[in-house]
Amino acid sequence: MPTDHDKGAYPEPPRQTPVAEKQTALPNPAVILSKLFYYSVDLPVTTFRDVVDSIRSKNKLVYYHQKFRRVPDLTECQEGDYTCYYEAEMQWRRDYKVDQEIVKVVQERLRACQQREGHSYLQNCTKELQEFTEVTKNFQARYGDLGAYASARKCLMKQKERMAAQTA
Amino acid sequence: MVGMSVLRSAAAIAARLSPLKLGNNAPNLLTRAIPRTDKVAVRWGHGKKMFIVKPTDYYDRRFLRLLQYYILLTGIPVAVFVTCVNVFIGEAELVEIPEGHEPDHWEYYKHPITRWIARNLCDSPVKEYEKMMAAIQNEKEKADARLTQQEVRRQMKQRGDGPWYHVPTVDKGLIDYSPKASPDN
Repeated sequence: MPTDHDKGAYPEPPRQTPVAEKQTALPNPAVILSKLFYYSVDLPVTTFRDVVDSIRSKNKLVYYHQKFRRVPDLTECQEGDYTCYYEAEMQWRRDYKVDQEIVKVVQERLRACQQREGHSYLQNCTKELQEFTEVTKNFQARYGDLGAYASARKCLMKQKERMAAQTA
Repeated sequence: MVGMSVLRSAAAIAARLSPLKLGNNAPNLLTRAIPRTDKVAVRWGHGKKMFIVKPTDYYDRRFLRLLQYYILLTGIPVAVFVTCVNVFIGEAELVEIPEGHEPDHWEYYKHPITRWIARNLCDSPVKEYEKMMAAIQNEKEKADARLTQQEVRRQMKQRGDGPWYHVPTVDKGLIDYSPKASPDN
């Protein structure tokens, strides 16, 4: 079966279901319904999954996460060295994608926190909220209005403008 | 009950009017089923058959039938193939790259069909990258050559010397000086 989600990043609140003490001889309809669900849906699905897994286990394939080497940046390229420009551009594009995914993960954590806490999220999720504001502010500052045809060169120019605005 | 008495009286009248006609004698008349309009057996099973006048939908239904046929002709084998691949081979699992192992470029994909395509049909991303770099290098060299040529021409034009700044003219030995021999002609 596939692995469960990261419990550290998405902590579950402690269960508050009380211990049930049976005081009547009548059958509990909740227990009946849960057993019904188990035998009609859960068990067939699990057995199907186990059967398919046993067929699949003979040809197990693996895949890896590709690690790219760091190449000289756009600032470290000679003028007119177009191959250096290309490598720097590709590296910048990969970094842009990674940063987009980082923002998505932080967003997802905040959303999960809000879902967990319910109406008291403003009080209990301060860490996630602070992380989210910081990450999105930085992302906006770095990649903000570059548009659809964003490139490493435009990002560098934006950084130059930011530095000029900071010193001025 | 009323019907029976009416029937009997009708039989009597028919027998009196035409006694010699075949099938008109009393027992025959009574046994014959006379259609009565007020006591007809009404059955709501099939209903009255209607001929509904509407424009033909033959061509539309033929189009949809043929569409389904041609889509499913390749659709069903493809669906069966993909199902078999997913059931018997299954997707890959993500693992850490072990020490000293250099994975091939198709081992970075999850689905077995994607892996097959990456292995047999496409070039590896490294090769694509290098192809692009080679094209860039080529174009760079062409651009540099053009720039140097432009600079050289500019210099030659400025100084007025150099092998390229000469206009090609006709050979000196081909000039015909014979009209110059008699100037006052």
